[in-house]
Amino acid sequence: MTPSGAVREPTGAGEALAGRLTDAWVLPPGIPSPDAYDRLRAGDLPVRHPTRDALDADTVISALRDAHRGLAAIPTAGMVRILGGAAEALTRQLDRADLRDIAANGRLSAAMARAVVEGMAPSWTTAALDHLVRAEFPEPRVLDGFVAETGGREGAADEAAPGVRDDAGEPGQPARAAAAAAPRRRVRAAGPAVTLHFGAGSVPGVTVTSMIRALLVRSAVLVKPGAGDIALTVRFARLLHRADPRLARAVAVQYWPGGAPEWDGWERDLMRAADQVVVYGGDGAIESVRARAPASTRVIEHPHRIGVAIVDTRAPGPDDADAPPGDAAVPGSDLLARAAQATARAAALFEQRGCVSTHLVLLVGGEAAASAFCAELADGLAALETELPPGPRTLAEMSSLHQIRGRLAMKGAALRTAATGSWTVILASAEAFEPMDGRSVWVVPVDGLEPCRELLAPLSPVLQTIGLAGFDGSRAAALAEDLVAIGATRIVPLDQVPFPAADWLHDGARPLRELVRWSELR
Amino acid sequence: MFTIHRDAARDADAAFNRLALRVHAVQRANNPVLRRYWDAVSDGQPVAWDEIPPVPVRAFRDMPIVTGTAEVIFRTSGTTGGGVGGGGGNARRGEHHVASLELYRAAARDNYRRHLFAGAPALRLISLVPNPADVPDSSLATMAGFISREREVARTVWAFDPESGVDVAAVREAVASPPPPPILLLTTAFALVQLLDALAHSPLPLPHGSRVMETGGFKGRAAEVDRSTLYRRVHGTLGVPESHIVNEYGMTEMLSQAYDCVAGQGPPAGERVHRFPPWVRTRALDPADLSPLPPGRPGLLAHFDLANAASVCHLLTEDYGSVTADGGVRLLGRAPGAALRGCSLAAEAFLRMTGAA
Repeated sequence: MTPSGAVREPTGAGEALAGRLTDAWVLPPGIPSPDAYDRLRAGDLPVRHPTRDALDADTVISALRDAHRGLAAIPTAGMVRILGGAAEALTRQLDRADLRDIAANGRLSAAMARAVVEGMAPSWTTAALDHLVRAEFPEPRVLDGFVAETGGREGAADEAAPGVRDDAGEPGQPARAAAAAAPRRRVRAAGPAVTLHFGAGSVPGVTVTSMIRALLVRSAVLVKPGAGDIALTVRFARLLHRADPRLARAVAVQYWPGGAPEWDGWERDLMRAADQVVVYGGDGAIESVRARAPASTRVIEHPHRIGVAIVDTRAPGPDDADAPPGDAAVPGSDLLARAAQATARAAALFEQRGCVSTHLVLLVGGEAAASAFCAELADGLAALETELPPGPRTLAEMSSLHQIRGRLAMKGAALRTAATGSWTVILASAEAFEPMDGRSVWVVPVDGLEPCRELLAPLSPVLQTIGLAGFDGSRAAALAEDLVAIGATRIVPLDQVPFPAADWLHDGARPLRELVRWSELR
Repeated sequence: MFTIHRDAARDADAAFNRLALRVHAVQRANNPVLRRYWDAVSDGQPVAWDEIPPVPVRAFRDMPIVTGTAEVIFRTSGTTGGGVGGGGGNARRGEHHVASLELYRAAARDNYRRHLFAGAPALRLISLVPNPADVPDSSLATMAGFISREREVARTVWAFDPESGVDVAAVREAVASPPPPPILLLTTAFALVQLLDALAHSPLPLPHGSRVMETGGFKGRAAEVDRSTLYRRVHGTLGVPESHIVNEYGMTEMLSQAYDCVAGQGPPAGERVHRFPPWVRTRALDPADLSPLPPGRPGLLAHFDLANAASVCHLLTEDYGSVTADGGVRLLGRAPGAALRGCSLAAEAFLRMTGAA
């Protein structure tokens, strides 16, 4: 945790949460505040949002479009400082009551809400955003104006060789570079005027990240947070409004019941008026946006995903070409215990609602190792009940858990369960695997790496993060080639699974580049 | 008198327990899947029926649960459980392997006769439940077929097509045609709403003494309405008073049904209690740990239906309700509300993706 990511006021664990009434909108100055509201409970947070007729979609989008010019005038470095500063203030200023609201909203325990925000905060700092911009655009000035591209290479300006002179006339690199490759064209990366965001259901912070990305490329944002991510989103939007008047004019947040028939016209109007739409959600939400967004509106999709871990516990053997090389510092049992602890954390954080959350573990090393791993994993999940207490569960979730546990027992799966019902470890074959709610991890023993590839292939359309344990760099790299072939887009050490870095290749795309349009000037 | 009554109840409980343990022993001996399940989730032999772990109804989606040979297989409409409420629709269909149609008829008959035929020596049947000839794997349609063959039923009109829905013209024609006996309208709640919508501007009063049996939920295909509102609409459109509207609670996985009143004697919908025949016991279980709850405390409902002798008797449903001190069941709905989800894949979507749904 970085200092800027520290959240004040630790909260008690497992207390009953009830949030304060929250206004689920933040509108640019000049747009009259709504005068009619509907109320609902978002998780355990009472919220009110404007009624369908209280706001006009075209008015909101027009205001944001007008604000875009002012936004575009902020240099990249300045935007990084403003956004990073606001995000750092967000995490710094969250107090106990704020965390209770965020937790109630997402149906998390206060301790979990705190852990989630603290875990995400490092990816929002000024330093992290600066790194993100540079990772995406090695020549960040391409976001501020046309930059000469040299070397005769097609593509992005960020691949331009050093030695260019930008529009601002700043000194370039040594003349030899310019002489070696005369610029063929100048290129510019620019976010569209307005990006509409449909946020994820109940993982606090995902929408903040999405807003930051769009603003970094100077696209004004209209954000519909997920029902479980209203509290944090509106707080961040208010901080942005206070941070800079140009951002105040370019940032709008409004919650409405997504997909409700009476809001269909509103959503269609927004999707028609916005330049691009970023949508997080399940199949229904994604397909609904796809079906209704006009062809002229770009749609960037982040569908639901599934996370997997591959843990290789085998001792190296001279005849086992597939087995890991010796690692004297990591004896098998220690590896197994540490991998189990990392898995427990990856499953517990976000209550397994994150796209990165680990649901399935392929345990290379045989039945005995798998059984030992399950015992360690159960211990880890039990310990996390105290450190990160589970949030309140709905009747439907509890019922569903009993149903699936019973079904698994009938199929012969070996179950370890919490007396409280808050976690489940399943040792079973892969054929019956299905993701479950509530800190439930499925452990499948496999004989080697080849079965891993075969077992994961059917998950290809939804694979995202694969956490590895028991692999050194070269073996991880070799395995990664196979995992890429079946769709994995993030392959990381198991203990890094929960919180991706700011510049992670989210769902296989570059997080800023996917938001910009490139223009060339010849 | 009280002592005699209490003794009779104790005797009935003892008889139920003996039968339950006998049936359980047979099911355990003959069904290795059930045996494996019970061995995995319980310690030792049960000495009382309520020590036998209930089987989750969703298990009927995964595998045939049959003790012996099946004469017929009933399939759920997509929402395993099929009790009150509804939802889903994309899930695998559950299968209930039924050893004997005659056993099903015997389990259902006395109960439907007592609750639906009271005070009516003759009835015309209009069924908005599909004809069993069209959907032989529907347990509800099969029961409608049983009812249509009762001697009191002078005539049956099947007025629901699985593809096109309610045949409103057929309903109008049936109501208009002589002779005058009152009508028994068998319907799902979904079909009833469809009929009422179609008749919104042209009420169709049924003859005096007519009654309605409605069952099931709305299957996510229509906005849910509460029962009091629904019954007011029935009264306004069909002229059938609330006292003559009977709710049936049943599910594909269970051969016995519960009714919430006798036709003509029904109290207001909010005061009703469903009653099973005496060979069924129901408990409300704590949703957190499945511990039994005392009368009046709502929880997940588990039913032990002795008529399920050829499959499995003890079922853990996804229905929510409480039991009364005298064994009645107050239904509160289906385990409500979908979970808030973030970016993680839900089981239903996963199963669709992998083709398992």
